[in-house]
Amino acid sequence: MTAFIEYKGVTKAFAGTPVLRGMNLAIDRGEVMFIIGTSGVGKSVTIKHLIGLLRIDRGEIWFDGQRVDQLAERALAPLRKRIGMVFQGSTLFDAMTLAENVALPLRKHQRMAWPAALDDARRRLARVYMAEHADRYPAELSDGMRKRAAIARTLALDPEVVLFDEPTTGLDPVSARRIDRLIRELSATLGVTAVVVSHDLTSTFAIADRVAFLYQGVVHAVATPAELRASADPIVQQFIAGKSSGPMETPGF
Amino acid sequence: MTSDAHGSRAGWLHRQIEDVGVAVVAAGRAALALWLVTIGTWAGIVRWLSRRRVHGRPHGEIVRQMHAIGNRSLVFILVTLGFLGMVMTYEACLQLSRVTGDYSQFGSQFLRLVISDFGPTLTGLMLATRVGAGIAAEIGSMKVTEQIDALRMSGVLPIDYLIVPRFLASLVMTLALTVFGSVVMYTAGGLTAAYSFGVNPALFFDPSSIRGRHIVLLVVKAVAFGAAIPVVAGFCGLRARGSSEGVGWATTAAVIGGSLAVIILDFAISAIGLVVTGGEP
Repeated sequence: MTAFIEYKGVTKAFAGTPVLRGMNLAIDRGEVMFIIGTSGVGKSVTIKHLIGLLRIDRGEIWFDGQRVDQLAERALAPLRKRIGMVFQGSTLFDAMTLAENVALPLRKHQRMAWPAALDDARRRLARVYMAEHADRYPAELSDGMRKRAAIARTLALDPEVVLFDEPTTGLDPVSARRIDRLIRELSATLGVTAVVVSHDLTSTFAIADRVAFLYQGVVHAVATPAELRASADPIVQQFIAGKSSGPMETPGF
Repeated sequence: MTSDAHGSRAGWLHRQIEDVGVAVVAAGRAALALWLVTIGTWAGIVRWLSRRRVHGRPHGEIVRQMHAIGNRSLVFILVTLGFLGMVMTYEACLQLSRVTGDYSQFGSQFLRLVISDFGPTLTGLMLATRVGAGIAAEIGSMKVTEQIDALRMSGVLPIDYLIVPRFLASLVMTLALTVFGSVVMYTAGGLTAAYSFGVNPALFFDPSSIRGRHIVLLVVKAVAFGAAIPVVAGFCGLRARGSSEGVGWATTAAVIGGSLAVIILDFAISAIGLVVTGGEP
């Protein structure tokens, strides 16, 4: 069986500095896959390549039997309906209210009229307990509230895959666990495939089906959380234990 | 000369040539990217006008931009063009008083200069700083906080959403501010001449030397500057990278690029105007 999402030998360099060096990864439909690794190792870069926000230098990326790494911006529109992304900063549009933010993809991708899109947006905000804030602007809200609204915006198109870029970074522990529960529920109830870039090992061990550990531009290990904990690999163990000294080579430290 | 010294000199030369080559390639790429943003903006306008494409912009965005670009620049243009009009007139009258003392032609010639050159160009330069910096900072911070990526994920073309409304607003408001700035500059000049040198206002406010071509030059220049400033600023904003430092770079580049665009366009349009009119000033 071919994987739902597959990276084959992907390389990417920024200004001559290699980030991904022939990375391979296969993600199955409906699973919650965590991508972990040190800062700057290319985790966010990996997921941005899937939806054409960045272009790979070499290699191939496949989604549901279709090669997607060479698609032009216009041809990416159908793909971006099926794959949503929750960005690291909530990236709500400052000049719009929350309802307008959530309505924008409905209007653009589903071609809904503004009043209908706004009604739908309010319903979707209610599902993440943000109904009473629908007419407020992002700057007036807390980080956790913005993150919830950003998730509502991403889910507005009912995507099959949701990419989360560090969804719990900067949140208090209670809000972080709520986001974890939401990701798990998406997978369990709607069959959504979740690809989560994270530093948060509590989240990783709580909700991941599998974990890909990125190191030196390649996937160093793919395993279930239990297998990862039990791994004898000294590099994996150093990362999990968060030790400052060990076999890991971290540039700049 | 030792072979080592010769080798290091050759290496230095090689590096210099390489640096120049890298800079030329980077400049070429930037020029191509700017051209693509320009074409993209025009294509966005055509999409907006012809197919009534769903652009996703909030209602009244163009009017909001007209207010931000036009109304909020009013005092700035009033002050800068007013003072420039006073200084230019004072200096010119001072020179005339020392040479001939004849101010009879000065008002009409100053009006011709204000309409065909000073008014649009100085207004354009002022707007390249105020409006250009604002647009680049706003779009640049959207870029570095991934809002542009989020727009793309929402199915929105960033140029249609961000640059087209600013472009259309700037076209209208630059023209309006150019007319306003020219009136302010000429009036301030007239008052200075009257109070400082006793020039008869009836003699100064003399439109007899104005021809249709001078008005055409004002309109063409204002429209060209109004088009160039938001495109250059938007382009710089979209190229912002990293964090706040990237936004700072984009803002500086937008002010420099916008000012250069105004000066180069002023030269080109004036030159074309001279050729078309057969050298008539």
